[in-house]
Amino acid sequence: MNQPRALSRRQFLAASGLAAGALGVAACGGSSAPKSKKSGPATVTFTTWAGAAEATAFKQIVTAFEAANKSIKVNLDIVPYAEMFQGIDAKLQAGDAPDMFRVTYTNLGIYSSKNVLLDMTPYVDSAFISQFQPAYWSAISFKGKPYGVPHQTDTTMLLYNKDMLDAAGVTSVPDTLASTWTWEEFLAVAKKVQAKLPAGHYAFMYDWAQTGAFRWLSWLFEAGGNLLNADLKTPAINSPAGLKAIEFTQSFFTEQLVPKNTSTGNATYPDSLFPAKTIAMAFAADFLLPGDIASAAKFPYAATFQPRDVTVSSDLGGNGIVGTNQSKNPEAAAEFLKFLVSRQSQQTFCEQACELPTRKDLVDATLNWTVRPDLMKMFVQQATVLTPFQVEQVTIPAFGSINTALQNQLDAAFVGGQSASTTAANISSAVSSATAASA
Amino acid sequence: MTPASTTSVSYSMRRGRRSWRITRHVITIVICAVMAFPIYWMIVTALTPNSDLIAGVAGYWPRHFDIGNFTQAFAAQPWGRWFLNTVLVGVASVLLTVSTNVLAGYAFAKLAFRGKVLIFFLLLSTMMVPIQVTMVPTFRITVDLHMFGSLWGVIIPEVAAAFGIFLSRQFMMSIPNELLEAARIDGAGHVRTFLRVVLPLCKPLIAVLVLFNFMFRWNDFAWPLIILKNPADYTLPVGLLFLQGQYTVNYAQMLGMALVTILPMLVLFIALQRYFVEGLLRSGIR
Amino acid sequence: MSSDLNGARPGGTTGSEALIASVPSAEPATAAGPKGMAGLAGRWWAISETLTAYSFLAPTIAFFAVFMFLPIGLGFWLSLENSSGFGVSTFVGLANYRAMIHDPIFWKTLGNTAIYTILTVPSSVLIGLAIALLLKDEFLRGRNIYRSFVYFPMVISGVATAIVGGWMFNENLGVADKFLAAVHLPTIHWQSSSFPAMMSLVVMTLWTRVGFNMVIYLAGLQNMDSSYLEAAAVDGAGPWRRFRRVTWPMLGPTTFFLVVMNVIYSFQVFDLVYVMTGGGPSNSTNMLGVYAYQQGFIENQQGYATAIGMALFVLVLAFTAIQWRVSRHRDLA
Repeated sequence: MNQPRALSRRQFLAASGLAAGALGVAACGGSSAPKSKKSGPATVTFTTWAGAAEATAFKQIVTAFEAANKSIKVNLDIVPYAEMFQGIDAKLQAGDAPDMFRVTYTNLGIYSSKNVLLDMTPYVDSAFISQFQPAYWSAISFKGKPYGVPHQTDTTMLLYNKDMLDAAGVTSVPDTLASTWTWEEFLAVAKKVQAKLPAGHYAFMYDWAQTGAFRWLSWLFEAGGNLLNADLKTPAINSPAGLKAIEFTQSFFTEQLVPKNTSTGNATYPDSLFPAKTIAMAFAADFLLPGDIASAAKFPYAATFQPRDVTVSSDLGGNGIVGTNQSKNPEAAAEFLKFLVSRQSQQTFCEQACELPTRKDLVDATLNWTVRPDLMKMFVQQATVLTPFQVEQVTIPAFGSINTALQNQLDAAFVGGQSASTTAANISSAVSSATAASA
Repeated sequence: MTPASTTSVSYSMRRGRRSWRITRHVITIVICAVMAFPIYWMIVTALTPNSDLIAGVAGYWPRHFDIGNFTQAFAAQPWGRWFLNTVLVGVASVLLTVSTNVLAGYAFAKLAFRGKVLIFFLLLSTMMVPIQVTMVPTFRITVDLHMFGSLWGVIIPEVAAAFGIFLSRQFMMSIPNELLEAARIDGAGHVRTFLRVVLPLCKPLIAVLVLFNFMFRWNDFAWPLIILKNPADYTLPVGLLFLQGQYTVNYAQMLGMALVTILPMLVLFIALQRYFVEGLLRSGIR
Repeated sequence: MSSDLNGARPGGTTGSEALIASVPSAEPATAAGPKGMAGLAGRWWAISETLTAYSFLAPTIAFFAVFMFLPIGLGFWLSLENSSGFGVSTFVGLANYRAMIHDPIFWKTLGNTAIYTILTVPSSVLIGLAIALLLKDEFLRGRNIYRSFVYFPMVISGVATAIVGGWMFNENLGVADKFLAAVHLPTIHWQSSSFPAMMSLVVMTLWTRVGFNMVIYLAGLQNMDSSYLEAAAVDGAGPWRRFRRVTWPMLGPTTFFLVVMNVIYSFQVFDLVYVMTGGGPSNSTNMLGVYAYQQGFIENQQGYATAIGMALFVLVLAFTAIQWRVSRHRDLA
């Protein structure tokens, strides 16, 4: 029986072969993300979400950029909004992040404070910076340094279905900033409309689901309140104005003027309700016009300004585009970022996607929006009511987690029966911990 | 195990009353209709244009047999690529998992070695650990091994699954030792015994392992969700979620594509039902 | 089975009865022991057996070491850290666990998981039993076809189940409300009300689970010695009494096994909830597994997420330990 020795060697080889095979298979795997080449054109990847009109505009801009910059190739990577930031977070952790990605002004702070973004200081000079409205430039800055470019902005107005309002006897709707409805007038209109509607239909809805929760702050500002004190650290929402705003917006749900599933916590964005005529009015942002509304709404509709209480206000929507400091081609990335906010590009993008510009030289110019330019002119006016202090409040680095707290607490107030005082208190403490953590 | 015998007593129990037998058939048919209804509804919805669904004019029967949803969906997303990815993951996972399970099961069932009890117990105890304990560390390890974002990052970590080892050992234990003895007497060493004597007997086991592993990988969602971040690399379940994540929800397309993704499993099920049932029963063997 | 798994490993966990029964005894395997091989040859045989065993196990051990044991160890450590995945992690001791105790959403998800388990386990087990009883007659025509209809939802992915469930229960356009309206019942807000949302999850879970329970029960019924039933029939017992006095007790171990399996699956639910309700409305259908994922990969609180995973682990262990002791009592009784 001298076989065993030979066999055991064979077994050993077999075993180590198996083990090596398994590990070799593991080592073989590589990420399938495109790697930038050393020779030939530098390739940079730009990851973003985009509606249909935005996607078309981005593609046009990429083509124009590549034509003007033969040594740079831009890889446009469009992903759904719901997966956008999970993917970015994972890729940042894996060292596999794109060279550039799109953010909202309200969540930019999450990234700028984590030291993952490309510092734009070497690539922009004061002449460049002065082209932009100061509010938006500070929105993309962190501790005085710029970390991207302010691409565009958007804001919310009240769209209304003319037929449904006429049927309810509401014939006169304000069309100037000076003559906006007051809160009480708006509520009266809503109730008047609701009275004429069959079951399952509602007077209006506010598009503040999920990360749109920050848009609720318009009501707080309109009531004369603030989220933060001037130090931008301590909460100011637990005030009479804050309670008033919470209670007023709570009443939308308790009085059943809005569909129950349009609270801040709703998993989906209720954009199809207005075209489907389930609701007569919709507080919606301008970027919804080209896709969801204009194509699907087969009735005459117009817009009016957000109602006032103590003052008029609106929300700071919009997006910046940032670079990552992992980028292997930071110069190329910076070039593309600057190109995105050049006059021509920003004009093209805003006109096609129904967005508002951030460049001074475009704000007063008349853009040729492709969809409902008459309404877009009103959106431009609506956006002008934001004060610099209000912009600062929503762009602090900690705002990302404050936005989550707003989403959860307002949801509890709207559909969970939570009292206004508890809501205000909870938001306050969330603000305190968020600003403390990011200090 | 005494099958129902044909003694007079049991016959009278079985004969029963005719009305009961008819009732039983009716009840069963109703149950089957209820179970099949979601699939039926998927088919109806998939064949209806989305605008009809939104307008609420869709009925219980498709009005036209409109395959527009499928063609639009296929055009809009890289479904072919996603199918391929899922098949690749399935095949590679099955190859790795089944081979390692069969080897391990044999070792635990038929070989004597130090530490057997301890190792087996350790491996089996990992079945208690929920994914939420290991998901972040495994994610980081996968990143460190440069497998993040690649299909290998989905395949490799999930090979460490004790279920198949358990099943394999159960099966191997039922192989008579006399066969192995006979092989030894004939001069075969351990490896040859395994390859020539044991492995050919393992066809039922391998069939069940292959089937179940392929099914789990085909349907796997949480781990691919964590690892795959480039849409071109998605597997089908993640692709479906991607579809749902669009701004406006196209129900008709979503359901149509969900139907397409489950069809391979349904076909496999109909063809290989016996092995599915067998696999389930083996997992329940005490 | 696959549709409500945690998604990582096939099969989840088996009942601890199976676990304990499967642990090999400490005696050497009887396969090709050294009997009959004297002296040196016997020793070589034993050594080569050990070498063979380890080489057969090498790939398995390698995979488990890197992708199971290492993560488990790291997981323990990670739950004691404040870690976001970016930048530096700080050791914070038990702070995550303290935060967990004060986290109302954690308790909410724990409660929801418990409610979901209570709603899905007895019902799916009993319905599986009922259908098994209905189909147990081997002479029933079409039995195999009927069985397939009940069983097939198991092969459907959790995501697909969630998508069709979300659509059927869609409160604006879904067939469930259409049905209710057709029979003049009030329509239900399946997405925006908490209890209906939970029920929609439960219904879809039952759809995928009863097949598994039915198959196991059918096997159990088949393995039952019919002489007891015959004796009871001879004694004049009607069908219900035969069931209660003979069938149900004899199915005890099977029922036990199924309850354990189903509870562990329900504790760890992820796919269905994540895709169908996302935990909403307002966290009223959020489960521990989903919450841990959200904390880990959306909120980037990776230390905290792992701590939640540890809590889930403890629950599963505790449940398994309790039922093991109870089953030992039963077996000894």
